[in-house]
Amino acid sequence: MNSFWNGKRRYVALLLFLAGVFVALVVPPVIPFIQLAGENLPAGYDIPFTDIRITNTLVAAVIVWVLLLLFIVYIARRRPSDGSEVPPGGFYNMFEALYEGLMGFIGGIAGGAHFRLIFNMFMTIFLIVLLSNWMSLIPGVDTVGFIHPHVKEKFDADTGEYKVITTDGFEIYQGFLGISYVNGQCDWISPADEAAADAAALAAADAAALAAQQEQLEDAAYARYQAAHVAHGDDDHADETSDDHGEDSHGEEVVEPSTTSAAYDEVLAARVAEKQARADRGCYTGVAPAPWQDGYSGDKDAKKEPIPLHPDPSSEDAKRVPWVVLPLVRVASTDLNMTLTIAIISVVMTQYIGFKALGIGYLTKFFNFGTLFKSPLGGIDVAVGLLELIGDFAKILSFSFRLLGAMFAGAILLFVMSFLVPILPWPFFILEFFVGAIQALVFALLTAIFMNLATISHHHDDDHADEH
Amino acid sequence: MDPQATIVLGKAIGAGLAMIGAAGGGIGIGISVGGAVMAMGRNPDHTATIQTNMILGVAFAEAVAIYALVVSLIILFVLS
Amino acid sequence: MEALGINPGTMLIWLIAFIMLYVLLTRFIYDPLTNVLNERRNRIAKGLDDAAAAAAARQNAEAEAEKILAQARSEAQKVIDEARGRGEDVASGIEQEARQTAAKIQYDAQTEAVATRNAELGNLREQVLQISVAVASRILGESIDAAKQQSLVNSFIAELPADARGLGGSIEVVSAMPLTADEQTQITGEVGASDASFSVDPSILGGLIVRWSGGMVDGSVRSQLSQMGRNLN
Repeated sequence: MNSFWNGKRRYVALLLFLAGVFVALVVPPVIPFIQLAGENLPAGYDIPFTDIRITNTLVAAVIVWVLLLLFIVYIARRRPSDGSEVPPGGFYNMFEALYEGLMGFIGGIAGGAHFRLIFNMFMTIFLIVLLSNWMSLIPGVDTVGFIHPHVKEKFDADTGEYKVITTDGFEIYQGFLGISYVNGQCDWISPADEAAADAAALAAADAAALAAQQEQLEDAAYARYQAAHVAHGDDDHADETSDDHGEDSHGEEVVEPSTTSAAYDEVLAARVAEKQARADRGCYTGVAPAPWQDGYSGDKDAKKEPIPLHPDPSSEDAKRVPWVVLPLVRVASTDLNMTLTIAIISVVMTQYIGFKALGIGYLTKFFNFGTLFKSPLGGIDVAVGLLELIGDFAKILSFSFRLLGAMFAGAILLFVMSFLVPILPWPFFILEFFVGAIQALVFALLTAIFMNLATISHHHDDDHADEH
Repeated sequence: MDPQATIVLGKAIGAGLAMIGAAGGGIGIGISVGGAVMAMGRNPDHTATIQTNMILGVAFAEAVAIYALVVSLIILFVLS
Repeated sequence: MEALGINPGTMLIWLIAFIMLYVLLTRFIYDPLTNVLNERRNRIAKGLDDAAAAAAARQNAEAEAEKILAQARSEAQKVIDEARGRGEDVASGIEQEARQTAAKIQYDAQTEAVATRNAELGNLREQVLQISVAVASRILGESIDAAKQQSLVNSFIAELPADARGLGGSIEVVSAMPLTADEQTQITGEVGASDASFSVDPSILGGLIVRWSGGMVDGSVRSQLSQMGRNLN
């Protein structure tokens, strides 16, 4: 197998590259719908016995948990039973090297009496966050999912009813092998906007016809004037006669129907051609016949019919709503629930290890009234302690939003780059690889550092030194 | 003016202003990497240690920029 | 609150989930894994200590071994030197002995040969004497016998020139017939030589010839005969 692929991998890579170019040309990428909160999966995908809808970030989270469980089983089976055995190679060996390196790294930072607890927390957070972050590199994550009608229900205070409103989205397109995908070639135009555009086209046609008529009348008047001027041979009457001419034209109504209808038809034909072009590109909206065309069903009924909240993609209703891609799996770290939970766990463990190491004396870190009346600067110590208390709560936000921001921005970066340069987004995947690893390391490392700091007494450094 | 357009305009301006904060992160990253490169030039033997600490420092400096980014993302994608 | 999506129910679910995950993670991952890691760390530290101790022990052992080796080497050198010295002694002893033996054998052989020759000459003495006497008697008209010999020796001594007395060196005495020990002593005493070697040369026919480093006294019958012959001619 290896010998077969040796020297041929480059051609495989070239073929994949060409396939990417081809796919990018045939199915242009679209920017998926961007929303900070995890998107709910469509109806039917909810937690059993409840009506809680599963979010796509939770799907990713479950995948991460399962992968970690498989990882635990794998490592536990491959691990040598004692130090005398030669470790097996492959992935296990790589993990062991990483583990040993990180153990030395944390040992240099927090190699005290609480090393095991700190290191276990560090490693657990590191593995979970790392696995979550790197999921964004897997093809299909964030891009493959449900084609979802992008409509919202909004409560209308005036009528006291829920009203379905639409926002920006894309056309749905039934493509190759019956796979439907969101087509980025034409943006969705709501039927109301479409009708308005038709009406605008009619008005423009009327205006064009009027202008053409006006021009025709002016031409005729000028011809009459010329004839009169030649007859009278008087230049001074020229202005008066031209002024009179305007008043005269209203009265006479000399219209040549062929010319005006030509201008009218030209505008309407342009509009029809525009609609036809959209239809040719596979767009659903805008292909309904205009009021002046044959087969016009009358827009009054269409306007009255409410927009469906969950239309069937293959039905006619599908043309009336915008569609977005709702990814089946979205990276768990782009959901605040995960980052916030791990941040809270991290901060709570920091307090726990502080109490474990220093007992109730740990509280003097926050409520430091000991020096209030002894030292002239005692008040400052109190303020600093209270700042520490606030700082610990701020840590939760700092932890959670750092990871969320980095990963969410990374996901958007990958969407945008895949959309702008469909065939060459891979440098950004490399960037995301590093960002994911570094953010996981930073999250875990900061936890380890804060936990280590909590075990060190701030105000009794001498006593602490004596203990050790 | 169309209210929807006003909202979009306000969001765009607000997000853009929020991202000014990323400049601080950029300055911090520049300073830390510059210091690290100088240190590596002086002590090539300690490149690995310096690099690790530099990446950590860069990550912390970047965090400030990421906060700005989060604010602008919230403005763009959460506010409605 | 509604616009921010804050929902107390969801937050409660998150709280429960977080607590559950915290408990499960602590129970099944953090506690056991931390223990495993600590155990492993201790094990590794202990292993390193052991290795350091083992390394120190090895170093000590190596130093000791080096010391022992050096000692052994020096001892071996000493043994070798000793052996070499002893061997050389033995060799030189053997050589000397062999040389002595050879010299002795040579001397013995020489002595034996001389003795044998003397004996043979002694055996032949009579014949030679008779022949010599016969020849001499034929020439001199008188025969030489032991008494004659003795008289010849005596006359030789008597006629010994003055410069041949008290020579004090090594002399060689040649006689036609082996001299008796008394005669030898007599001659040696007359001449005053400290050392004398005696040889027999029948060709001188009779009498004695004494040679020393400074000259000779020829009291032989042959030279007398030759003198006579020259006088006759």
